[in-house]
Amino acid sequence: MIGSNTTEAHPVLALRIKKAVRKGATLVVADPRAIWLTKIAKRHLQLRPGSDVWLLNAIMHTILEEGLHDEAYVREHTEDFEAVREVVARYPPEEGERWTGVPAEAIRATAREYATERHAAIFYTLGITEHACGVDNIWSLANLVLMTGHLGYESTGLNALRGQNNVQGLNDSGANPTYLPGYQPVDDPVVRAKFSEAWGIEVPERAGFRLDQIMSGLHDDRIKALYLIGENPGHTEPNAHHVAEGLSKLEFLVSQDIFLSDTAERYADVVLPASSFAEKDGTFTNTERRVNRVRAAVPLPGNARGDRQIVLDLARELGCDWPEYPDAESVWNELADLCPNWFGIRYFRLEDEGLQWPVASLEDEGSRFLHEKTTARPSGRGKFHPVEYQPPIEEPDADYPFVLSTGRTLYHYNSGAMTMREDGITDKQRDPFFEISAEDASSLGVLDGDWVRLVSRRGDLQARAQVSARVFPGLVWMALHFAEAKVNWLTHDVGDPLIGTPEYKVSAVRLEVL
Amino acid sequence: MIEFTLDGRPASAQEDELLVHAAARNGVFVPTLCHDDKLDPYGGCRMCVVGVEGSSRPLPACATRVSAGMVVSTNSNVPQLRKTLTEMLLSEHLNANPGGRPNELVDLARELGAEAPLVLPDAKREPYADRNRLMGYEPDTCILCNRCVRYTQEVMQCSALSLEGRGPEARIVPTWERSWLDTECELCGGCLSVCPTGAIYEKFLEGAGVEERQLEQTKTTCTFCGVGCQIDLNVDPETKRIVKVTSKPEYVSNEGDLCVKGRFSFNFVHHPDRLTEPLVRGEDGELHPATWEAALAAAADGLKGVIRRHSAQAIGVLASARLTNEENYLIQKLARIGLGTNSVHSCEAT
Ligand code: SF4
Ligand code: SF4
Ligand code: SF4
Ligand code: FES
Repeated sequence: MIGSNTTEAHPVLALRIKKAVRKGATLVVADPRAIWLTKIAKRHLQLRPGSDVWLLNAIMHTILEEGLHDEAYVREHTEDFEAVREVVARYPPEEGERWTGVPAEAIRATAREYATERHAAIFYTLGITEHACGVDNIWSLANLVLMTGHLGYESTGLNALRGQNNVQGLNDSGANPTYLPGYQPVDDPVVRAKFSEAWGIEVPERAGFRLDQIMSGLHDDRIKALYLIGENPGHTEPNAHHVAEGLSKLEFLVSQDIFLSDTAERYADVVLPASSFAEKDGTFTNTERRVNRVRAAVPLPGNARGDRQIVLDLARELGCDWPEYPDAESVWNELADLCPNWFGIRYFRLEDEGLQWPVASLEDEGSRFLHEKTTARPSGRGKFHPVEYQPPIEEPDADYPFVLSTGRTLYHYNSGAMTMREDGITDKQRDPFFEISAEDASSLGVLDGDWVRLVSRRGDLQARAQVSARVFPGLVWMALHFAEAKVNWLTHDVGDPLIGTPEYKVSAVRLEVL
Repeated sequence: MIEFTLDGRPASAQEDELLVHAAARNGVFVPTLCHDDKLDPYGGCRMCVVGVEGSSRPLPACATRVSAGMVVSTNSNVPQLRKTLTEMLLSEHLNANPGGRPNELVDLARELGAEAPLVLPDAKREPYADRNRLMGYEPDTCILCNRCVRYTQEVMQCSALSLEGRGPEARIVPTWERSWLDTECELCGGCLSVCPTGAIYEKFLEGAGVEERQLEQTKTTCTFCGVGCQIDLNVDPETKRIVKVTSKPEYVSNEGDLCVKGRFSFNFVHHPDRLTEPLVRGEDGELHPATWEAALAAAADGLKGVIRRHSAQAIGVLASARLTNEENYLIQKLARIGLGTNSVHSCEAT
């Protein structure tokens, strides 16, 4: 497990991990914090935030040095292996200890265990991707998996744990500037022609903006209007004060949501009351690519409308001539007809249980794991990408001596719009809090439960100190769910140069005792 | 596969299979109370006892593994034994039906024609107050089958609950008798879901006056994380409100397990803060309720105005991981061919 606080972010999946460990599986956790799973782990690699690439390169260094890689797999199924060999040669575990804080012996032992176990799987989540070097981190993990041939059969591979319920499906269904539904690239004229024909209107050729480009576009006049559906960028985006300033410059903002978000309250021109999951039919796709049915159980409150209905109403108002779409199934069928990976998934097959895509035909039973026969690349070979370590963009200094890392807790969901409204749950966790080591707390004279001001170059907030053995000295950690203390007032918005995912995981802050 | 004899007929079983499972596959149903397929074999309540040739005492089918040539009988003197056991459990089971919750012991008693002895002992077990608002415990309903404690230890692997005391005073308590909120308990409700008698129950249902057997269940997918647990929303047919969330062991994604959000975070659906009317910002700078016609027209005009003054490229559309695949599909279709931009993305793109 790397960068995944599974018991809090994916609690029921964590039960499977607990069960596997109980049955004798070896668990190694790589995380800056001593998260719950470290209690049952054989080893905890407590690396410094942002040093993942160093750690992974050092693991690969050991594997190659000791000849533990899968030579046959590398030869037959991959390319550019030599480039990685060259780079990781410069990352010996002994030096890695200095950069990552993880003892060289622990790095070596992990490398040996991982390389020599046939059924070895890697799980990661936002702890890996929410860095300026997020793509590097994933390439490093992919290099490690490829070099040991740990993919294409059960209990192996590189498994992304999707943060929210339908992140997988969101991308699958084409809510992405680069891809039409089913990961079919917009910049491919053949793909565009196929969708243009199906939809009866030319799909625009011009590249769309990614989230980070949309957000920066608020400031440089590229973006003049936003249509937000169930989103609250004023809370969830980094450097939130700056985002608010950008939103105030918009000419037009439509918000479609179940609660009035503070973004909508301040800036929206039109607010459309929408549906919760319990009021709609459709599908969510979980982190194992299983398409599961969602079914309406209760009526909509007041004059609220289902999101499908609202989008269709708006389309009509904009002059679109679309099919009727009387129900969610008719929308799904259009999607499945256009996407080979979903072609075999139809509602009648989802009655009892979901199916894991790809499902090519109605006879296909679905796919429990990917890359069984080939990799996703046209050459059919997995590509190695050599990766060099880059230090985090904002390192602690004399003015801002602490590293702030952020994440989720078990009890709340994102901006807390839903879970903060549950009394029974907020009984357990209500006030904003941050974790601090006992050493740092005592040198600052902070007691457990004291209110402290956290200040970064971008903003400040107050939260209660939770003195915790989970973080090491120099590191503080805070959850992102609190409306009155939004940790994204503190984080910076310099993201990964390739995909723009912001570096939520590492910012520099100072603490002021109140 | 191995061969054995079940009630005089030849039967087959997997190597090392539990007798209770082997019997079920051969068409013989053995009732259980303390057994749970999720948990290690326990054999505590003896409700599932069967006769096994060569053993002087009856053996619990939930904790006995089939061996080749075993001769098993479930029908000789077993039914009488089971009835007596049920009566004994009933006699300690003073409050058999608090709040109309399903109760496997009561169901079993009805089936076996077992009745509690006429004179019930005085209530001996102390209930305790707890400040958590989610789960309650009724000691006089509890049959001490220990499923809740075993769930905590084996599945959650924590020490939130313990069995305290002995004999007639024994009861289940949060460890060290603190509040559930102050133990390692993560409020997953797993102990509640495995309790066969309803002794651990949803506290918020107290006094709600709904007969649980009348709730309408709709199977759907949890909205809180990517595990995609399969859940049943239990809706009161009269008020049309969700009153509780449950799951079933046969659901593949989660095998009936849930976490605190999936099980207990559903009141937001009916929260008074829900938006129930479209709002449009007026000349005064405030949001005012509007009809759908007016709001949709305002939305379309506003977006068209931006396209006219600038271009479609000046519009950004942010979809959401909370929406279904179908909704996101329509949203990207709207962005691309309704508005004319590929700038459709989401805050939860990773
Ligand atoms: S509370 Fe329920 S599960 Fe726990 S011992 Fe009592 S009856 Fe069994
Ligand atoms: S709610 Fe979950 S964590 Fe709490 S005692 Fe019950 S099983 Fe254990
Ligand atoms: S019940 Fe918990 S683990 Fe399961 S999908 Fe919901 S939030 Fe995730
Ligand atoms: S069910 Fe077998 S002993 Fe309790």
